[in-house]
Amino acid sequence: MATAVVDPATGGDGRHAAEAARADDVVKAYGSGETRVTALDHVSVSVERGRFTAIMGPSGSGKSTLMHCLAGLDTVSSGRIWLGDTEITGLKDKHLTRLRRDRIGFIFQAFNLLPTLNAAENITLPMDIAGRKPDKEWLARVIETVGLADRLKHRPAQLSGGQQQRVAVARALAARPDIIFGDEPTGNLDSRAGAEVLAFLRRSVDDLGQTIVMVTHDPAAAAHADRIVFLADGRIVDEMHHPTADRVLDRMRHFDAKGRTS
Amino acid sequence: MTVLKTSLRNFFAHKGRMALSGMAVVLSVAFVCGTLVFTATMNTTFDKLFADTASNVMVAPPAEEGEGGMFDDEGPANGVPDTVPASAADEIAGIDGVDRVTGVVVSTSAVAVDQDNENIGPTTGAPTIVSTWSDIELRSMEIADGSPPQGPGDIMIDGDTADNKNLRVGDPLRLVTVGGDQDFTISGIADFTVTNPGASLLYLDLDTARDLLLGGQDAYTQLYVDSTGEVTDAQLKAAVADMVAQRTREIGLLRALGSSRRQINRSVLTEALLLGVIGSVVGFGAGVGIAIGLMALLSAVGLELSTDDLTIDPSVPIIGVVLGVVVTLLAAYIPARRAAKISPMAALRDAGMPGDVRAGRVRATIGGLLSVGGLAALAAASAQDEASAGGGLLGLGVLLSLVGLILVGPALVGLVVRFIATILLRIFGPVGRLAERNALRNPRRTGATASALMIGLALVVGLSVVSTSMVASASDEIDRSLGADFVVQPTVMAPVTEEIQRAVEDVDGLTRVTPYRDIDIEVTTPDGGEEEVTVGGVPGTWADDVALDVVEGSMDDVLGPGGVSVDSDFATEEGLGIGDTLDVTFAEGGAPAALTIQAIVAPDSALLGAWYISLDTVTEYVPADALPLPFFFFATAEDGQEDAAAAALEAALDPYPQMEVMDQAEFKEMLESQIGGLLNMVYGLLGLAIIVAVLGVVNTLALSVVERTREIGLMRAIGLSRRQLRRMIRLESVAIALFGALLGLGLGMAWGVTGQQLMALEGMEVLEIPWLTVVVVFLGSALVGLLAALFPAIRAGRMNVLNAIATD
Repeated sequence: MATAVVDPATGGDGRHAAEAARADDVVKAYGSGETRVTALDHVSVSVERGRFTAIMGPSGSGKSTLMHCLAGLDTVSSGRIWLGDTEITGLKDKHLTRLRRDRIGFIFQAFNLLPTLNAAENITLPMDIAGRKPDKEWLARVIETVGLADRLKHRPAQLSGGQQQRVAVARALAARPDIIFGDEPTGNLDSRAGAEVLAFLRRSVDDLGQTIVMVTHDPAAAAHADRIVFLADGRIVDEMHHPTADRVLDRMRHFDAKGRTS
Repeated sequence: MTVLKTSLRNFFAHKGRMALSGMAVVLSVAFVCGTLVFTATMNTTFDKLFADTASNVMVAPPAEEGEGGMFDDEGPANGVPDTVPASAADEIAGIDGVDRVTGVVVSTSAVAVDQDNENIGPTTGAPTIVSTWSDIELRSMEIADGSPPQGPGDIMIDGDTADNKNLRVGDPLRLVTVGGDQDFTISGIADFTVTNPGASLLYLDLDTARDLLLGGQDAYTQLYVDSTGEVTDAQLKAAVADMVAQRTREIGLLRALGSSRRQINRSVLTEALLLGVIGSVVGFGAGVGIAIGLMALLSAVGLELSTDDLTIDPSVPIIGVVLGVVVTLLAAYIPARRAAKISPMAALRDAGMPGDVRAGRVRATIGGLLSVGGLAALAAASAQDEASAGGGLLGLGVLLSLVGLILVGPALVGLVVRFIATILLRIFGPVGRLAERNALRNPRRTGATASALMIGLALVVGLSVVSTSMVASASDEIDRSLGADFVVQPTVMAPVTEEIQRAVEDVDGLTRVTPYRDIDIEVTTPDGGEEEVTVGGVPGTWADDVALDVVEGSMDDVLGPGGVSVDSDFATEEGLGIGDTLDVTFAEGGAPAALTIQAIVAPDSALLGAWYISLDTVTEYVPADALPLPFFFFATAEDGQEDAAAAALEAALDPYPQMEVMDQAEFKEMLESQIGGLLNMVYGLLGLAIIVAVLGVVNTLALSVVERTREIGLMRAIGLSRRQLRRMIRLESVAIALFGALLGLGLGMAWGVTGQQLMALEGMEVLEIPWLTVVVVFLGSALVGLLAALFPAIRAGRMNVLNAIATD
């Protein structure tokens, strides 16, 4: 095992004390022989604890696949994935499910909520499934943060798209997971609602110390992150710290130009 | 073109779901086709069998009204079949064009017993037929061993009976007949050359047959006439007045079956029922297969139909397919029409359908009104004091409440499913809550799915309530009014002969033996009308054996000379009272009698009638040789000697295996098992309905799982384990099933209680709710729900999380 020396205080192996998740030389391929498509081509990446990381790239760059692999929703063809100090590659579905339930929060682009449950029930669903009692104080704080106090008894159909995503954010935060994965969480929202949701994510990192990984192709959204990892054709091609929307846009144009000439 | 392509693609994309819907269709089609093929084959078999005898004519005495002559289930009351005088044979032989007249004697009033005192005949309802041996028989039999009967000690039996009972030529047999018991030696064995009708055939020579079966009359029971075809029925009728000539073909069919048309119908229906259960797999093709299988089944009970005769009428596949298609189209048409009403945008939005809400309200209102109307009709029915009027109301109430509840079902889903969830699902925590919400989210679908189960269970529960009450009423009545210790009665269609009566009467330790006879009479009412009544012909000891609910007068007086007891309803209707005279004619002949009403009896007995005449009075009028044989006996032992008396009775009746001795407890058990047996047949049919209902639940769940792919993916992503997911689907299924069960139980109880209230007017006074059945039905429904969820749950568990949450 790679984690030969484990420091119980940090939950890491010393070298990666500040790591929430890590991909090590990950390959993800679909099909075989002639029809083989490589979605991730020897990707190694580390996600820092307490930071907001964005994964960017054009369609088909493998950014969603990378997130799915990091979150234990998909298996890798080779390489290894750690979540904190737990290696999740090779884990059985039962363990992966429990891991997702207890240690990971999800925000998807759409269909985030169960239509049969109201906002409050959706928020506590992962803890309910686990049979855990939610921390009431924390829950109140999260609900206040996302501004949903007067919408708790509403069903998803009675909420706007922005409100639905805020419920999803609250659900992801409520269980205090080690890491939250967002898959284009603002992709379906208008810019104002999108900015609102991103502001909540930002604040949860700054105020609550949450670790967030977000997949997006929107430079404005990515600009809210602390760090951006750029993916193209299944490889990490660049990285940017403390981004601004303009810098991201520049970089993307650069990729596009490169993509067109090559 | 594209539409077709899309439909086809959809069809194949949902193979499982289509297979399920298809199964329900297949089930129904197989049932119909199988029945049609089977009956057609049966007809072909018998058409063939009697093709060569079709030109012949049979002459037999006229059947009395309400009685099927010698092929009647019960046979003639005195055990002696009606006859044609031997002289008639000569007269017919004298008609021009008649080649030959063959007279035969046939009776079903006999039981053959082997040396171990065991009945060698069928005990399942088919008769033992004793007849004379003649050339007529060679059309369907051939002698396999030995020789035909030639003297008073000879008997020939059919090969199947011989095989079944291991009998050989030379073995002894005893025949119990109305003409007395007689010992025989098997002289020959004759095999069927055609389909064995399932009966036991025994052949005697003519004189012996006349002695034993006809009380020594110089007569035949029927004449077979071979003619050139120019002889008309009119000529025959002219020759033999009061005789009935019928074309042989039809009678022959009955004869070959050895039973009445009613029995044929009943057996075909029963077999069709079996057929439906057996052949629930593949439509028309399966239907044919099933028909063949059924023939094999019948051959196991002795009726051998050859598959060479397999008759598939061209209309069969047409009927089957048209039925299947029309029903399926209808079933598909209604939801399709509803779907077409939804705007494309609404369908895309995946949200509730606003138009649906109003339609649902209209439907619920109509359903509610019908249900209330149905319940009112049921209430009115149970308030009736005349059974006939109540029957109509009951029917109306059952129909209205059923249709009403089906319509109002979706509106009740919210309330009832929440109730079920409160007591059951919430034990399972959040998974239970998810299941509850899922069952609630599409009330129309839940309601429709559950209604199939509801109908089946309502019938089961309704019939159980009625039958349990029947049994309870009968047992109650036995406890209350039966003073005798034992009931002695035949187990098969067999005459209770004088020897048997003597054997019972001679048993030591019995204080009294009371034979009961059914006596048919015609009563002249004061307004000049005539009414046919069956009265009990009993000796004076009857009053000690049975405590009847006498409204006025005394049974002791009835059982004296010239007395009669009447039904209190009849007395009220006709304005008759104690001491009035009633003009009576006996159906068995004899002079008209003027009897005095000595008692008025309330018709509140579930077991016995209210009309009685003393046996002495009956014998005063009815000729001795026409006196009906006893139907059963009551016997009473000396105090404390019951066990010894029972043993002695059993011993005395050992030579008569067709007789059964029951004490009060056994008598109750017998009644219970009789009613239970009847119910089992009904339950079989309902089982089929429930299978279809289960398929419906499976179908609904499979559909829901596919529709909720995204949700399932989301739940799996945020940490719902496979096991929890499967449990969620199972619990939803259980909720749907229990919803149907609760409605069905309620409906069935209402029907059953109303039915009992009506039957209370005819003596079934005890209402007993079969709680055990209710509990079993309820638990069974939960099990049905679990079973139905098996595959949908596994399927949901196997769903790929990523595919499920993919947003494009």
